[in-house]
Amino acid sequence: MKIIVLNCGSSSIKYQLFDMDNEKVFAKGIVDKIGLHGSSITNERNDGDKVMLEGEIIDHQQGVEYILGVLLSKKHGSIGNFSEIDAIGHRVVHGGEKFSSSVFITDEVVKQMENYIDLAPLHNPPNLKGIYAMKELLPDLPQVGVFDTAFHQTMPSSAYMYAIPHSLYVKYGIRRYGFHGTSHRYVSTRACDIIGEKCTNSKIISCHLGNGASVAAIHNGKSVDTSMGLTPVEGLIMGTRTGDLDLGVLIYIMRREEISITEANTLINKHSGILGITGISSDMREVEEEAEKGNWRASLGLDMYYYRIRKYIGAYAAAMGGVDILIFTGGIGENSDLTRSEVCKDFEYLGLKFDVDKNKGVRGKEKVISADDSKVTVIIVPTNEELVIARDTRDIVSNMAK
Amino acid sequence: MPLKNKHMKTEVLEDYALEKRARQKGSLKKVGIIGAGTMGQDIAVIISKQGIDVVFIDLTEERVKEIFNEISIRLDEIISKWGMTKSEKRAIISRITGSIDYNDISDCDLVIESINTKKAGTSRELRKNVFKKIESVVSRETILASNTSTMMISDLAEVLDYPDRAVGLHFITPAITVKIVEVVNGVKTSDKSYEFVVKFAKKIGKRPIIVHESPGNISTRLIATLINEACEILMEGIASTSCIDATMKKGYGMQFGPFEMADRIGLDKMVKWMENLHGEFGDQKFKPSPILKRLVRYGFYGKTSGSGFYRYESGLATTETITYPEIK
Repeated sequence: MKIIVLNCGSSSIKYQLFDMDNEKVFAKGIVDKIGLHGSSITNERNDGDKVMLEGEIIDHQQGVEYILGVLLSKKHGSIGNFSEIDAIGHRVVHGGEKFSSSVFITDEVVKQMENYIDLAPLHNPPNLKGIYAMKELLPDLPQVGVFDTAFHQTMPSSAYMYAIPHSLYVKYGIRRYGFHGTSHRYVSTRACDIIGEKCTNSKIISCHLGNGASVAAIHNGKSVDTSMGLTPVEGLIMGTRTGDLDLGVLIYIMRREEISITEANTLINKHSGILGITGISSDMREVEEEAEKGNWRASLGLDMYYYRIRKYIGAYAAAMGGVDILIFTGGIGENSDLTRSEVCKDFEYLGLKFDVDKNKGVRGKEKVISADDSKVTVIIVPTNEELVIARDTRDIVSNMAK
Repeated sequence: MPLKNKHMKTEVLEDYALEKRARQKGSLKKVGIIGAGTMGQDIAVIISKQGIDVVFIDLTEERVKEIFNEISIRLDEIISKWGMTKSEKRAIISRITGSIDYNDISDCDLVIESINTKKAGTSRELRKNVFKKIESVVSRETILASNTSTMMISDLAEVLDYPDRAVGLHFITPAITVKIVEVVNGVKTSDKSYEFVVKFAKKIGKRPIIVHESPGNISTRLIATLINEACEILMEGIASTSCIDATMKKGYGMQFGPFEMADRIGLDKMVKWMENLHGEFGDQKFKPSPILKRLVRYGFYGKTSGSGFYRYESGLATTETITYPEIK
């Protein structure tokens, strides 16, 4: 069974073509700078053939067309014709309360996703664009939606409700949903496999640290709390997002700066976080470099970043009555040894013994980085959301065929 | 972002396109704007923000350069108020090109006429000429829109070989933040052209307000009478400029009072609109108030000229220019 997995962002589309008979990737790539100057597709085939195609890509529809064009091409392609593709799996950011697992995409499902645009205005629209594009190009192919929020639907109400008037929850579904669910689900299962423990009998704290970042508490295989809320703004300090913020601050800023909701939204989503604190960049590598050179705002940004993560780890250990496994994943979690070692400082009281040597220089590899006698296993697990999406797509499509 | 590896091959993307027919279906890739004053610039920004290429035509090369500078300043203002990021600004500007040659709009899917109407005399003939010029370079499929509100789109379309392609598309100042746009159906406008523009309005994030052709549409007709009546109140000495504005703002929840609004729109433009409306309807209520005409004669055009009903410093209203007559 051949499945294409699409992850459509605001100006990029990541894609992978899977052979799900053996879970191997035929080809993968990224469409970059959609609608901008210098747009391109980089395609990498499993035999090592790698090519960058440069030209104009006006929108997601055109991006998806070129993906199919490349995958079908004689020179760099991996398939002979469209009929070889069995299904498409899409990453969808917000599934609200409606979707607690992956679903076969029908018109009704699309409509529901459109209703959730308000909840994830930066993410759901491009996700939907990918779905519309595929629907137009390959209308007969089954499409499956895999939601970032679905894994966290097991959270108890004490964790997901906000202390606001109950009527607002009833009226608009305002509650905490959490994101990166596909990633937290994958890395927690994978960590248990590597260590040889049962997921159903473990207390896991999973740190997904990328440009967006969240921590999840996973008790016996189920998400019981996570740091993101109704929107991806809550929780950790991120590249350009505030994370947790006193609500009074936002109201105060809006009043003093005389700005509207639109500008306030841009302020907390795009001007804040590491970029806002340091004034340098939202890219952790650049900030680390600047901090090393003695830039105090860069150091402050990093200190605030680590501290916020440590607070969440402490809180989730309290929530689960301890922690057995601590996972690092996401671009920063997988690649920044500095972040991992700073975050793991001073957790000896939990029985965590960090091994600095094992951690040093590890980038994007599965590896245990705690001491052998540590009560808490600290482990790096590169995330693979695409594989989870492909698996869910395969399972749903196979079940439908039965 | 993928970094270009020196060992990686680079090829031309177009060679990997699926059938061209499928690729171009119903797409809107490029919009032309004739006249890039404040309104034309705002329209360019709104469109480019949605990832659509924009080419504007203005009178001289020098002016084209100035326009880019003005757009840059406008976007910097938005950034300073947290409404946009620097990279978004770069992306917006990178999709806008300027020219003095009409041939550069020949491949546009939609061309919007938004020429400056402040100069004395009617702009009807000027706009007709622009429409004619546009039609001479674009394809049969291209839709022509005019940002006029007081002139009839049917009158302008008269000069076209294919008047079915003309639609009224009236933006309201400040166009970047105002969430609606009036879409006007002329006598000969085809359903296809009209639907195209309605779809376009939605694409650029505006709610299309469906309007059947009539001078001033909804917006100009109502704001003109409101401002005229406010001038009457002022002239009768019933209340001061700022009291009238405060009443409408605090009492009726308007964002701007009638005089603040007039200053923002431009008093010279207001007078022109009113004269056009008066000409069309013949009703005295549209006749520009003598006080408006007096201010314009004094060169008090509103916010852009530094004084109108108020004096402005760094864009902020300071004092009132008119002391109203009092009986003592």
